[in-house]
Amino acid sequence: MSTSPLEQARRGVLPAFWDRVRSEEWRRGVALVLVLAACAFPLIDHNEGDLDAAANATAFATLALGLNIVVGFAGLLDLGYAAFFAIGAYTYGIFSSYQIQPEWSSFWEPFQWLGFVSRLHVDGVPIDHAHFQVSFWLMLPVSALVAAFFGIAFGAPTLRLKGDYLAIVTLGFGEIVPIVARNTPYLTNGAQGLNGALPPHLFGYNFGVQSTPFYYLGVALVVFLIFVSVRLKDSRIGRAWLAIREDEIAAEAMGVNRTKLKLLAFAVGAGFAGMTGTFYVAKLQTATPEMFTFPVSVMLLVMIVLGGMGSVAGVVVGALLLQLLQSWFLQDISEWIHWLGRTTGIGFLEKVDLVQAIELIFGIILVVMMLYRRQGLIPERRAVTALTLAQQTAVPSRSGLKGELKPLHRKAVDPKLPLLEIRGLAKAFGGIQAVKSLDLTVMPGSIVAVIGPNGSGKTTFFNLVTGLTRPDGGKVTLAGEDITGLGPHIVVEKGIARTFQNLRLFPNMTLMENVLVGTHTRTGTGALGAVIRPPSVRHEEAAARERVLEVLTIFGNRLMPRREHLARTLSYANRRRLEIARAVITEPMLLLLDEPTAGMNPTETLELSDQIRGLRDRGITILLIEHKLNVVNEIADKVIVLDHGEKIAEGSPEEVHRNEEVLRAYLGRTATAAVRAAAAS
Amino acid sequence: MDFFDVLLQQIINGVSLGAMYALLALGFTMVYGIIELINFAHFNVFMVGSFVGLWVFQAMGFSGQEQVLYGLPLIGILLVGLTVTMLATGFLGVAIERIALRPLRGVSGTAPMITTIGVSYILFNMVLLTIGANTLNYANPLPKVSWDIGQATLRLREVLLWAVSLVLMLGLHYFVRHTKMGKAMQATAQDQEAARMMGVDVDRVVVLAFFLGSALAGAAGMIFGLYYNYTSFIIGYTAGLRAFTAAVLGGIGNIPGAMLGGVLIGLIESLGGQYLEVRWTDVIIFSILVLVLVFRPTGLFGRAAPSKS
Amino acid sequence: MPISDVQPRQQSERPPLLEFKGVDTYYGELHVLKGVNYRVGTGEIVCLLGGNASGKSTTMKTILGIVKPKNGTVSYAGETINNLPTAERVKRGIAPVPEARRLFPRMSVRENLEMGAFIRNDKAEIESDMDRVFELFPRVKERLRQTAGTLSGGEQQMVAMARALMARPSLLCMDEPSMGLSPLYVEQVFDLIQAINKQGTTIFMVEQNANMALSIASYGYVLQTGEVVLHGSAQSLRDNEMIQQAYLGEMKKQ
Repeated sequence: MSTSPLEQARRGVLPAFWDRVRSEEWRRGVALVLVLAACAFPLIDHNEGDLDAAANATAFATLALGLNIVVGFAGLLDLGYAAFFAIGAYTYGIFSSYQIQPEWSSFWEPFQWLGFVSRLHVDGVPIDHAHFQVSFWLMLPVSALVAAFFGIAFGAPTLRLKGDYLAIVTLGFGEIVPIVARNTPYLTNGAQGLNGALPPHLFGYNFGVQSTPFYYLGVALVVFLIFVSVRLKDSRIGRAWLAIREDEIAAEAMGVNRTKLKLLAFAVGAGFAGMTGTFYVAKLQTATPEMFTFPVSVMLLVMIVLGGMGSVAGVVVGALLLQLLQSWFLQDISEWIHWLGRTTGIGFLEKVDLVQAIELIFGIILVVMMLYRRQGLIPERRAVTALTLAQQTAVPSRSGLKGELKPLHRKAVDPKLPLLEIRGLAKAFGGIQAVKSLDLTVMPGSIVAVIGPNGSGKTTFFNLVTGLTRPDGGKVTLAGEDITGLGPHIVVEKGIARTFQNLRLFPNMTLMENVLVGTHTRTGTGALGAVIRPPSVRHEEAAARERVLEVLTIFGNRLMPRREHLARTLSYANRRRLEIARAVITEPMLLLLDEPTAGMNPTETLELSDQIRGLRDRGITILLIEHKLNVVNEIADKVIVLDHGEKIAEGSPEEVHRNEEVLRAYLGRTATAAVRAAAAS
Repeated sequence: MDFFDVLLQQIINGVSLGAMYALLALGFTMVYGIIELINFAHFNVFMVGSFVGLWVFQAMGFSGQEQVLYGLPLIGILLVGLTVTMLATGFLGVAIERIALRPLRGVSGTAPMITTIGVSYILFNMVLLTIGANTLNYANPLPKVSWDIGQATLRLREVLLWAVSLVLMLGLHYFVRHTKMGKAMQATAQDQEAARMMGVDVDRVVVLAFFLGSALAGAAGMIFGLYYNYTSFIIGYTAGLRAFTAAVLGGIGNIPGAMLGGVLIGLIESLGGQYLEVRWTDVIIFSILVLVLVFRPTGLFGRAAPSKS
Repeated sequence: MPISDVQPRQQSERPPLLEFKGVDTYYGELHVLKGVNYRVGTGEIVCLLGGNASGKSTTMKTILGIVKPKNGTVSYAGETINNLPTAERVKRGIAPVPEARRLFPRMSVRENLEMGAFIRNDKAEIESDMDRVFELFPRVKERLRQTAGTLSGGEQQMVAMARALMARPSLLCMDEPSMGLSPLYVEQVFDLIQAINKQGTTIFMVEQNANMALSIASYGYVLQTGEVVLHGSAQSLRDNEMIQQAYLGEMKKQ
């Protein structure tokens, strides 16, 4: 390829430069500088108002981080997020203010001893009351847990809903909470709000009403929650969330338990908000229902849309920008516009008050960002630059950590017994019988091809076996175990993996991440492990990555050099290969391939046929839907022909080829004498 | 007043409210039926419509309660008010579609809905900033005629509200079921690609749906003002929630369902306000919304579940 | 027998009604149609045959304008229509009978027929066309008031064909008319297609059922993974054993 030296230099230098900029060390360096700057800030600016605004801003940054987990990571549009903010706030408020004062009794004595409760005596009042004063530091995690619980409660009804409807239901819950707060004065003091919430005490030092200690506390919370977010994102849990966001059906088909992970996202997100609620109430020493209404949820949405959904740095920037804009800059910008109005004589400009117009600005930001920059100011993913020659041929270095992936509980496979047995499988959609009483056997170590004309039920059959569709009748047995009707992620655990006819990759995740999702069932790191990262977790992650590299090498040099590229940048053939890699890494006993060579030219088809044979030699039994009959002839041990949902032929490729029924199915009902004559000659 | 009189009065109120919500829900559900978009801005178009109506009446010289008309002049100014308001909001809806929504046609996911939240905010705040938070008095050219049914009262304004709403709804029904463009809209809602293959200009159909839906919202806004004798920037939010629930209850995308849903919600609101406490009405309505979406997303009268995921 | 024109065409002097010249279409990165050439003469029935995923549906979508070709020309009645919007093509006389019928499920049969005539404004003529359609499809007349979604597959196919005829098309494009139909209906449908053609409408038909299609067509093309691997008069194709191979995806283009 002839390129000028300048071109080559540019291609070599620029990518390297950007890669360095975005590298880990650089990012850590920038982060450190920012944290130091944040700590130094109160020493430079002594203005109490500025500090107060900054402290409030940190609260919204943590809220944005929490919403980012639900919306940005897991893709669940929650329009009622402020409800969790409220729940955290009121939980702390109830246990640390004068709101609830039950009558004193001996029941309260142990709590008094623990310091959670004090005995209130008021002159002239005959009975003493208990006053809650649970420590702020204790309430931080407690209210997070309470909010998380509600996160699960509010999230559970939305699990089966699609995007728009999910948003509406969460909006509903988000509205119900402040209304309930307004109307249960016993708990919340209604619209007047709680009073006298206890500020935090640290080693005897009372935060009181000064902004500075709250500011530092807020910064600490932000840093902590950034840390948690980043750790979660780059972990088994984070990848599972992203997979759900990208394509939840495919995610489930790769072993991800959608229900559990969605609820986890709601819980963690709500937990962040609960913590923030405690912080906020301790700072303001009050909580009113107005602080938690729909406009607050919308403001948070604007923050993450502005900053960049899914991007941890982005949402923090978005939150700080909008908060500080409101408190620091808007007033000044307004005055500047007034000056402009005076000089140009435009009356309207003289009177405009931007501070009041802040919600208008939010609306404009939402519309403009959605129309022109949906990925936000700091996009979650960068576009990948072209590969240099060096990068293409680079060999990935080993991490040095040794680890093993969890062996999946697999039944021992008797080579003389069928691996997969189907009896009487049936499924109807509306009035149409897609699959009619299908019987099928697949022996271990074989490659079985399923062929048939359009609409014969082949893909429905795959969906029934893998649990994507529930059968109306019949039985599916894998290695002697009945797996009929089990959910897709359980079927993966049992040992069946699949690819899709129309490709269901995770387009905005890298190749590496796509295949890593396939390891979900073979790894066990939970949210806590993801954040703490003990050695066992690190070893597991390293083992998973090693495994991915091994699997990628099945396809030679096709996928390896591109492992850090986003899946949507791949060529069509490579995407097919990636899907197969993702399925193979689940260590299936049985691999279902749905038209794996579709769209490939003859050379690529041949290459893939060999690779499929290689997979069988590794011990994986293959069931494949294929319409390129030369492929079938080459690699299949047995062919099954479907037509109108029924099996019309079964046998070796040669036997099936000569079968008249099959010819009739493909070519048309009225078999002509000519065809018969031609076959006979 | 004994129990039945109270009940009857509340039913009268409820059906009146319901007619308004039905009008509002209709436009909303029509757009959803065609492009499967939840248009948050719809309810603030309603609010803008009520202000437009207010100005139209003021321009014609009517403000406050002094002047009362009868017969033809009354019908005349109502028609003028209605026409101007509906045209104005209709074009507002078309503008919104053109500027904020058409560029996002084909983008999957919730981006278009988020955009409508933004537009809704813009409308709401522009009114708030220019007109302020005060409630404004609406003209009241209606004569104080009323009829007594037992101890319940049926006022002229109720009859008028029902009449106007009914005429508009029947008009829409006739348009959708019996005109060429209306059938094109139905066809587009049922199978967009097949409609295209029949030669239907889908873009035009979408614009028409927005125009009609927004015009109906404007009409509902003017009716609101005439009925309650006031308007303010916040009415989009409160009425919007009810109308939204009505649309969902009737089956989102289902036009007759929206009408019935509207009346049901109106009845629930007035009866609920009477027999429970008013402050819990919002919670009840939100709960209905949540329950329907979770347990019966196709609504009472349903239609095929949306294809968009 | 060598591939390509097995027998010279009878009507090669007449200008074609529909012509594809070197058309390439892509679906994202996937090269679906690879330099295909078709020629449909006025008054003919031409069928496009092929197995799964051969590019038949994409051909239909390209004719209708739902898919635009990257290279090559699609011309209709002498005019290049590569970038013409669907509605315009319908106005010029191309009417589709889509795959799986795609009737408007909640509209009545009559309303579906009326939608077929959407682009027309001549009321009287539309009415007379409707009568003509009732003659061809007595079943349809019986079911006028019925909601289209409740009809059986075969009845829906009739309505779909009738609906397309309401546009008074010059070219009727049928996408897999026999799909999902019982054998009885398949016979009826193909008889009807012949009848329509005799009344003067040119038919371009994409079909998987090669035998039925070739029994009524005058010319045929066979597609395999986006390339035309075989074409000729229907007679010659019927007698050609290689169609079997092409169909079952084993054909190597020579």
